[in-house]
Amino acid sequence: MVEAMGRALSTSVRRHESLLILAGAAILLLATAVLPLVRLVTEIPDAIDGFALFRSGRAWRLLGRSILLSGATTMLALCIGVPLGLIVGRMDVPGRRALWLIHAFPMFLPPFLIALGWFHLLGQNGFLGSEESASVLFSAAGLVTILGLTFAPVVTSLVALGVRGIDVSLEEAARLVAGPGHVAFRILLPAVWPALALATTVVFTLTFSELGVPMFLRVEVFPAAVFARLGGVDYAPGEALALVLALLPMAVLLFLLERKFVSRRSFEVVGVRGTATTPLSLGRWRTPLAAAAWAVALASAAPIVVLFLRAGISSNGPFAFVDWVAGAPFNSLLAAVTAATLLALSGFVIGHGVARGSRFAAVLDALAVLAFVTPAAVLGVGLIGVWNRPQTGFVYGTAAILVVGYCARYALVAIRVVASAVSQMPVDLERAAAASGAGSGRRLLRIVLPLNARSVGFAWLLGMIFCLRDLETAVLFYPPGGEPLTVRIFTLEANGPEPVVAGLGVLHVGITAVVLVLGSAFIARCTRW
Amino acid sequence: MTLDRRQLVLLALLTLGAESAGCRSKSGEVVAYSSVDQVFSEPEFRAFEARSGIRVRGVFDTEETKSTGVLNRLIAEADHPQADVFWSGDPVRPFLLIKRGMVEPYVSPSAAGLPAGLRAADGTWTGFAARARVLLVNKSKVSPAEMPASIRDLTNPKWRAQASMANPLFGTTTMHVAALFSAWGDDNARKFLNDLKANGVRVASSNGEVKRLVVAGEVAFGLTDTDDANEAIKEGAAVEVIYPDQQGMGSLVMPTTVVLLRGAPHAENGRKLVDFLLSAETERRMAEAAAHMPLRDGVPTPKTVKRVGEIRAMAVDYARVASEMERIQPWLKQWAGL
Repeated sequence: MVEAMGRALSTSVRRHESLLILAGAAILLLATAVLPLVRLVTEIPDAIDGFALFRSGRAWRLLGRSILLSGATTMLALCIGVPLGLIVGRMDVPGRRALWLIHAFPMFLPPFLIALGWFHLLGQNGFLGSEESASVLFSAAGLVTILGLTFAPVVTSLVALGVRGIDVSLEEAARLVAGPGHVAFRILLPAVWPALALATTVVFTLTFSELGVPMFLRVEVFPAAVFARLGGVDYAPGEALALVLALLPMAVLLFLLERKFVSRRSFEVVGVRGTATTPLSLGRWRTPLAAAAWAVALASAAPIVVLFLRAGISSNGPFAFVDWVAGAPFNSLLAAVTAATLLALSGFVIGHGVARGSRFAAVLDALAVLAFVTPAAVLGVGLIGVWNRPQTGFVYGTAAILVVGYCARYALVAIRVVASAVSQMPVDLERAAAASGAGSGRRLLRIVLPLNARSVGFAWLLGMIFCLRDLETAVLFYPPGGEPLTVRIFTLEANGPEPVVAGLGVLHVGITAVVLVLGSAFIARCTRW
Repeated sequence: MTLDRRQLVLLALLTLGAESAGCRSKSGEVVAYSSVDQVFSEPEFRAFEARSGIRVRGVFDTEETKSTGVLNRLIAEADHPQADVFWSGDPVRPFLLIKRGMVEPYVSPSAAGLPAGLRAADGTWTGFAARARVLLVNKSKVSPAEMPASIRDLTNPKWRAQASMANPLFGTTTMHVAALFSAWGDDNARKFLNDLKANGVRVASSNGEVKRLVVAGEVAFGLTDTDDANEAIKEGAAVEVIYPDQQGMGSLVMPTTVVLLRGAPHAENGRKLVDFLLSAETERRMAEAAAHMPLRDGVPTPKTVKRVGEIRAMAVDYARVASEMERIQPWLKQWAGL
């Protein structure tokens, strides 16, 4: 009888194996993102009173202003990124790999660090600063320009990856009868519009949720107002939630647009598996376009160079530079490595489910979107409510709470990278393995993982970078004495010695560069087989 | 037994993880939350570490949520306190904690030399190294004959759209406004704030930003704190620092305040940190590094730092100001718009 029960249990587990594996991966998302969101529901009674804030008109103005600024930033990023993406992706400009690298690097850094670099360049006492340049910098125009330049590489990279993945025969046929401009704008660009849609959504969302740069440049935006509701004399998370609920229609709209245009598209136009071919010759346009492209790339890198020039390792007073650094780099790296690993593991399982049309995975994906677009400050309130308990002190008072926060906020990143990769892998391989008796777990480990190891590696690296550059999530609940480097730079920025703050910025740049180089090399080495 | 490379890396990660996850001894540490600028408060924590051997784990405010971000975190964590000590940048916010029963009275022996009016007899709070509210004036924008002398000059049409102050929902500006409500009564204080708005006073996100606006010449003068004004002087900016209302109600003086928290996980170490912070030595260093005015007699100060006795200070009942601060919040939010 025991044997029969065991067989029945084994059959049942086997039948539901894929659901159980997905549920295992879902635990991370549920514990980190869903519980805090549910915890926020308890604030709804106060949130109802908070809606009174919208009677003032100022809340609406701020909301409209933020949407406009995000729209303008996205437009600027598209204006820069689309032509540059075409150029670095398919044109014969000199040094296009280097150009791409220099242009793209700032997008891996916290945007407020880039703003700090521009401040040292164009602020009143900056290297090229004057009263006029400072007034432009500390304005809505300055905000749009800085964020536009910072996020343009997202567009550039997605467009470039897209055009490199286009079926070569399409392009070669067009080249027989048309010039490079015609090929670029009539053949290549229309073929990568899902990549453009993704880039537009990503840049708009990143800009709208950005807190550090608007605060630094003193430009009033809606997320800063939400953050402020958590910083007033009367702690008012309910009011902050009321302000967030007003964002819900916009979040749903973005989610639907992204679902319609991007999420189930072939990886050929949104992914990283391109087909190399001979670059398009630009002819007489080669020199001027190359010059323009390099000018944009150097402008992207300018604030980083300025941080290097402004940095100093000595400071006034008894504190040496190493004292200001303290354990912040270690705190950042430890939390980011741990979170990125968990993100890649859960993202692999959920992303595979999304790509294979699992409804459960689709729900998890939607929850990850919700956690990503919920302003970090409000998510932070939920996280404190859930995790600050005697039983969970080992999480809340330590670096583990940073890992929880990062996993909540950036689950989407890993899920989407893996989902995009798996969706272009033929499902027949998995079906054949299933027909041969391989269970879900075995298929995932023996077929899906080896074929998508590179993408899982990218998911890990991207998750790591997002965690390293995070400020908004960590600033509200970082463990005492365990602040990540971004928070340390931000809290010291106000009255700290400028060379020290710039030096900390340079340190962050260095860490990011090393992580990118080592991470890429590691992925290349691991996926060579 | 030999370990291969992978095992070594795993071991190292586990060791680091365990270290960071709090496996170290809790007996040798203290958790301190501070709304005093990190650039000034952290060196004091490190000095305490060097003296006592007790590690200080700090949480600091951002400039924009000065005095309130950390305070709200304390309130959010009230059910399960993480902090032992709160070092507040002003003397009224600790009352919000006292009112919620979150403070453990402690009469520190180091407080003996501090003025009785700037500490609670029952030890719930103790004030030391103080700041004052001042007018920071850009000398290239304002001639000596035109120098403002009162906070009421912010509403003078002569300076329309040429003056600045920080958002009164945050930082020391909240306390200042509450003190005005306490001193002037609701009608006069509300009229003053409405006049500020009518006069186009630029509402900055922080006192540090007021300093930046004045130094950059974007406004002629602004209402800020002595430590921010001192930073402008250290930067070599062409500015004048004016203690307002010396012929009238006086300037608002705000001692930084330290409290021990109820349910503190490391209460004994917390008391040691409180004793250290309230020492004459800390007051001297805060005067030198952050232009804070020592409250004790006999503490040497740099030339640029005035002593509390050298200025006419506004008569303030901090407990009452704290109550006012909470009472006027709905109106202030309405005034600020959000």
